[in-house]
Amino acid sequence: MTASAVNRISQGMFEYALKPCAVALCFVVVALLWTFPLQHVIAYPFVFLFFGAVMGSAWFGGVIAGFIAVVLSSLLITYFFIPPLYSISVTKESQSFLAAFILSAIAISIVSSTRKRAENAVRSARDQLEVQVQVRTAELEESNLEIRESERQLRMLTEAIPQQIWRADLLGRIEYCNQHLRDYIGGSSGALSGEFFFTILHPEDEPIFRHRWESALTSGERFEVQARVRGADGIFRWFLVRSIPQRTESGRIARWYGIHIDIEEQHRTQQTLFRAQEDLSRSGRAISLAEMAASIAHELNQPLTALLTHASACRRWLQAEPANMQRASAAADRIVQETTRAAEVVRRVRSLFSKTDYVRLSTNINALIEEFAGLLRDEAIRRGVSLKLRLTEELPMLHIDPVQIQQVLLNLATNGMEAMTESDGPKILEISTATRRPNEVLISISDSGSGFPEHVDARMFEPFFTTKKEGTGMGLAICRSIIEAHDGQIWVERLDSNTIFCFVLKAGA
Amino acid sequence: MTSVRSDSVETVFIVDDDEATRAGVSDLLESAGLRTQQYSSAEEFLEIWNPEIAGCLVLDVRLPGMSGMELQGHLAESGIALPLIIMTAHGDMPMVRKALKAGAVEFLIKPFQDAELLEAVEQAFALDRSRRRDGELLHSIQARAGTLTERERQVMGMVTAGLTNKEIAEKIFLSVVTVKLHRSQVMRKMQAESLADLVKMSEWFNKSRGSAGG
Repeated sequence: MTASAVNRISQGMFEYALKPCAVALCFVVVALLWTFPLQHVIAYPFVFLFFGAVMGSAWFGGVIAGFIAVVLSSLLITYFFIPPLYSISVTKESQSFLAAFILSAIAISIVSSTRKRAENAVRSARDQLEVQVQVRTAELEESNLEIRESERQLRMLTEAIPQQIWRADLLGRIEYCNQHLRDYIGGSSGALSGEFFFTILHPEDEPIFRHRWESALTSGERFEVQARVRGADGIFRWFLVRSIPQRTESGRIARWYGIHIDIEEQHRTQQTLFRAQEDLSRSGRAISLAEMAASIAHELNQPLTALLTHASACRRWLQAEPANMQRASAAADRIVQETTRAAEVVRRVRSLFSKTDYVRLSTNINALIEEFAGLLRDEAIRRGVSLKLRLTEELPMLHIDPVQIQQVLLNLATNGMEAMTESDGPKILEISTATRRPNEVLISISDSGSGFPEHVDARMFEPFFTTKKEGTGMGLAICRSIIEAHDGQIWVERLDSNTIFCFVLKAGA
Repeated sequence: MTSVRSDSVETVFIVDDDEATRAGVSDLLESAGLRTQQYSSAEEFLEIWNPEIAGCLVLDVRLPGMSGMELQGHLAESGIALPLIIMTAHGDMPMVRKALKAGAVEFLIKPFQDAELLEAVEQAFALDRSRRRDGELLHSIQARAGTLTERERQVMGMVTAGLTNKEIAEKIFLSVVTVKLHRSQVMRKMQAESLADLVKMSEWFNKSRGSAGG
């Protein structure tokens, strides 16, 4: 038998035997001692104190103590107070009294112990509830604290984040601006609401900004535009303004969150790049080609003139009577010299145009077009052309020379925009990508311009072919040579009044 | 009375900065039996130029320093009537028109055929020859006119103006016989074979005086 078992038994003995016995004994003895003096005052056998003892025992000692008290009380009453006195025996006439006492005592004992148990249950339930309430309160306080802390951190984050952030209601009214935005525009949050924001936009960017923002508010689509925003110092900087709507569970727009990203540096770099590219392409298209052609013609004409004159002279020296062999031979020497010189000119021209840098990089054509569209944006705005991209996602990567392909895009886009210069209708330049066959990507540039007459389709890509007053006729020829060097194809299509230049690049190429 | 200078041999003066072209043109002209001289710039040519030279100038448009067109302008301004043939590698029509208007004999687009050059030179030489012959003729008429007396010059002016001997006699208060004598003197001194011949000489003379005066 283990110690714990012994312990359990002894605890049981105390709980169910010793304690009830002791409690019952105490109450009954007290009742007995009080009853002795009281019986001389009251004529009838006085047993009420014993009821009290039973009640007390049952209350404090439980049902077992109650029953022990009942038994003890019954024995003591029988012995001391029911005739024959000081005997266990009971007279016939007193038996009913005793029975009534016992039954009443048992009833009292049961009622008392039950009440006690109920009260205990209620108390313990109340105690438990109290504990639970306390725990809950503590938890609530903690989570409140956490919420406040995270709110504080979030606010600190929005205030400290080195970007300009705002929040607007569903009608686009600004509700909040972070510190950076307030510092930049040099006003309070309130100042930004309403029309104020439009007044600090660059006049050239304001109409397109307003148009896009209003259409975003009605359509509920995300909004993104690049615009110059005037700072508190009066200087405009380029920003990428981006805003997304927050929707309720029912899908209704609750508010708008916006961010202004300072892209001045990128923009400046891009502008420089674009200007350089434009200069390059302009000189490449207009000046250099014409100049170079003239220069090549001149360079070749000189030795050709010398050749032709010497050759004629040589023939004449030989035809003379008598033939002047010495002069003829000298002329022939010069012919050889000049032929060598002409060949040298040709060799130089060839080396000038030969492609020494063969570049093929794995390129995402959509990203390339998006980058290109960014470069073209200003030019398109200047010409009043809206630039649309319709790019098919998940195209295969292409192995191309990105610079050359951008050159092709630039040539075709510039052609398209120039074709729309005279157009009265909407000027739309659309660049789209699509898969044609597996591993073939089709890129098309469509304009809504006046277009080429149909009969020139075949000749369009020939060098020196142009329908433009100032054109050199090399643009499309260069495009074709680049595309063909990529093992691709280029052609022109028509759809209604739109001219569509298409080219195909192979993914495996 | 002077005659054509025997030492003024017709020469083709070639001005082109490209040595090979210059040499080729020269070789071709020499094969046709012509005398040539080469210059690499307009300035170099102007250094040796003198009014006595005969022949023509073959000039490239594109020259270092003074251009061919500028040289043409300069020669015209200085009253130098040496015939010009212009060569260019550019088929620039406005320039061609301008050069021809300014008196160029021919405009050759490089490269050109030998016949084109030789014909142009032949034409230029013919022009130069007639220019020089005219100059010499004028010179001798002026010399003859210099031998006339004042009275004879007066009579010649009236004769060539179409007046009869009688009309002249009345105008200058001389007898018809005296007028006839003066008239025969004028015909003899001017070496005129007929009245028409004298009228022509008088026109030349007046023209040269007029142009010299104007």
